[in-house]
Amino acid sequence: MVTLVDPANPPSRKAPLVWAIGAAIPWAVLAVAQVVWFVLDARLSWLHAVAAGVTVVGVVTFVVVAPVWRYRVHRWEIGAQAVYTRSGWLVQERRIAPISRVQTVDTHRGPLAQLFGLADVTVTTASSAGAVRIVALDSEVADRIAAQLTDIAAIGDRDAT
Amino acid sequence: VTEPVVWRRLSPLMLLVHPVHEVLRQVPLLIGAVVLGSATGNAMWSIAALVLMIVFGVARWFTTTYRIDAEQIQRREGVLQRSVLSVPRNRIRSVSTDARLLHRLLGLTVVKVSTGQEAKGDAGFALDAVRADEVPALRALLLAESRPDSLEAGDEVGPAERELARWQPSWLRYSPLSFTGLATIAAAIGVIYQTGAVAALEDSPLAQQGRDAAERLGVVATVVVAVLAVLILGVLLSVVRSLLTFGNLVLSRRDEVLHLQHGLLRVREHTFDMRRLRGGTIRQPLLVRAFGGARLDAVMTGVDGSGEASLLLPPCPAPTAEAVLTDLIGQQDAVTGELRHHGPAATRRRWTRALTFPALLAAGLGVTAVVAAVPSWAWVLCGLVAAACAFLAADRSRALGHRVGDGWLVARSGSLDRRRDCLAAEGIIGWTARQTLFQRRAGVATLIAATPAGVKGYRVLDVPAELAWSVAAAASPWVANSDWTREPAHS
Repeated sequence: MVTLVDPANPPSRKAPLVWAIGAAIPWAVLAVAQVVWFVLDARLSWLHAVAAGVTVVGVVTFVVVAPVWRYRVHRWEIGAQAVYTRSGWLVQERRIAPISRVQTVDTHRGPLAQLFGLADVTVTTASSAGAVRIVALDSEVADRIAAQLTDIAAIGDRDAT
Repeated sequence: VTEPVVWRRLSPLMLLVHPVHEVLRQVPLLIGAVVLGSATGNAMWSIAALVLMIVFGVARWFTTTYRIDAEQIQRREGVLQRSVLSVPRNRIRSVSTDARLLHRLLGLTVVKVSTGQEAKGDAGFALDAVRADEVPALRALLLAESRPDSLEAGDEVGPAERELARWQPSWLRYSPLSFTGLATIAAAIGVIYQTGAVAALEDSPLAQQGRDAAERLGVVATVVVAVLAVLILGVLLSVVRSLLTFGNLVLSRRDEVLHLQHGLLRVREHTFDMRRLRGGTIRQPLLVRAFGGARLDAVMTGVDGSGEASLLLPPCPAPTAEAVLTDLIGQQDAVTGELRHHGPAATRRRWTRALTFPALLAAGLGVTAVVAAVPSWAWVLCGLVAAACAFLAADRSRALGHRVGDGWLVARSGSLDRRRDCLAAEGIIGWTARQTLFQRRAGVATLIAATPAGVKGYRVLDVPAELAWSVAAAASPWVANSDWTREPAHS
């Protein structure tokens, strides 16, 4: 019976905040739209109540619960031979890929992530089902990982399929 | 390879094929031109459009050239927009050929080159078309780079070609059980409706006769007759289609090359490099399985695993499919060996998931019954749905299982589309253990083996969570030796 202990490193401390803001933006748009609708047409009060209820539940779930939950689940680590990550909240994944089969290492910064100095690292292998994503890292950590992985993998000397 | 690096043209016979294809492809445009022509009373519009299409088709031949040099194969094409497509020869993974009816009449064949790296919607590299008698030489040349030792010596000297399977007329018995016939009928009806033929028929004497006949027979009899007619037609269409597509199929192997040829009207040939084979999938759709049939797909790097490209055997007797796969992978246990079952939690999940829908249906009927009368047939229907779902649940739980060892990972699952995936462990380049909230509560996990071959991700459904990493570690030494692996002392 073999078990794998969880990877050691958490994402950036700012990750929950960035995730919360990212989720809050569409919900805020929705809330504003509902207020406008209520101001323009206040009939059907029960429908307004239902819509407001859905919005409140959505905001609590995606802006408060999900970021905290994700922060508690997300972990990553780079070992001597493999990359190992844990991610998700309702659906959780542990994914491991051997560094010797890595094909590309990309860092990616979205607009919001850039604002807070975060970055994602995506490690791809020859299988589209095997790409490992380490999300919401501090920018300098991401760059360090990318450099380190590129070094170990010695990408380009082999077909890797 | 001392091939002169000149730009070569495709077969001049394509001067006949291109215009026909161009016209067929632009049928909507042609219809528009005809409509415009009759609306303006000037037939020149239609003729001009037709001439333009034919000129375009002819120009395509003059503008398309290809060449094969030591490093790559290139194709230049385009009438208005020039483009050059290059494929490095050492990246070529398979070469297939395809000859539709018109091509066959003229002795032509389309040669397709696949690297297995094409993005979705990418047309890939095709030479449309070359003379059929040039194909063997071209195929040998294209594949020589990825197979340095074989074929260099020439076709005659190599080991003899060994036939693995040949199509039997008895295989046709599995084809009525597919849905392709029904789908064809549905598509035909859709087209007929769209062209407005039904509206035209509605007042015709034929329709009147039909209505009279229906009135004499009564509603039930009419429905029965209609359903029977559709079923019989569907079965006939499926059988004919299967016969035309797979008739005279031959799967043979010469050393490290697998050769598949099939089709009565449209002849297709695939050549697979055995060194890229990472396993196979035996698929048994419920109805095919009921009659002891199975089909076989290759799991191969550089060949799309879900489509027709990976097909090795169409529905055929299960022992045939198993024997061929055993021959290909040389591992009897992986193909037919006992599987380790996934235990009560996985079984419970199959039952909960299957029975949720009938339970909701029954609850809905129950609530409705309080306020209004529910006809008894609704309850009967509900019972039938529940029985069908229960059968699915039982069948799905029975299917679940895996086997790992001797360098192979085997996973079986499904009922309506049961599949047994046999995957070479050395081809696995990543593992994912996924758990939804419900799976965590049930203590199971879905294990996904990532590989560059076939459908890329092969799932082992609902393994007991504590077993998941044991399976991965047993298949992949790099998991067993990773920095995170812990092996409790007692095991």
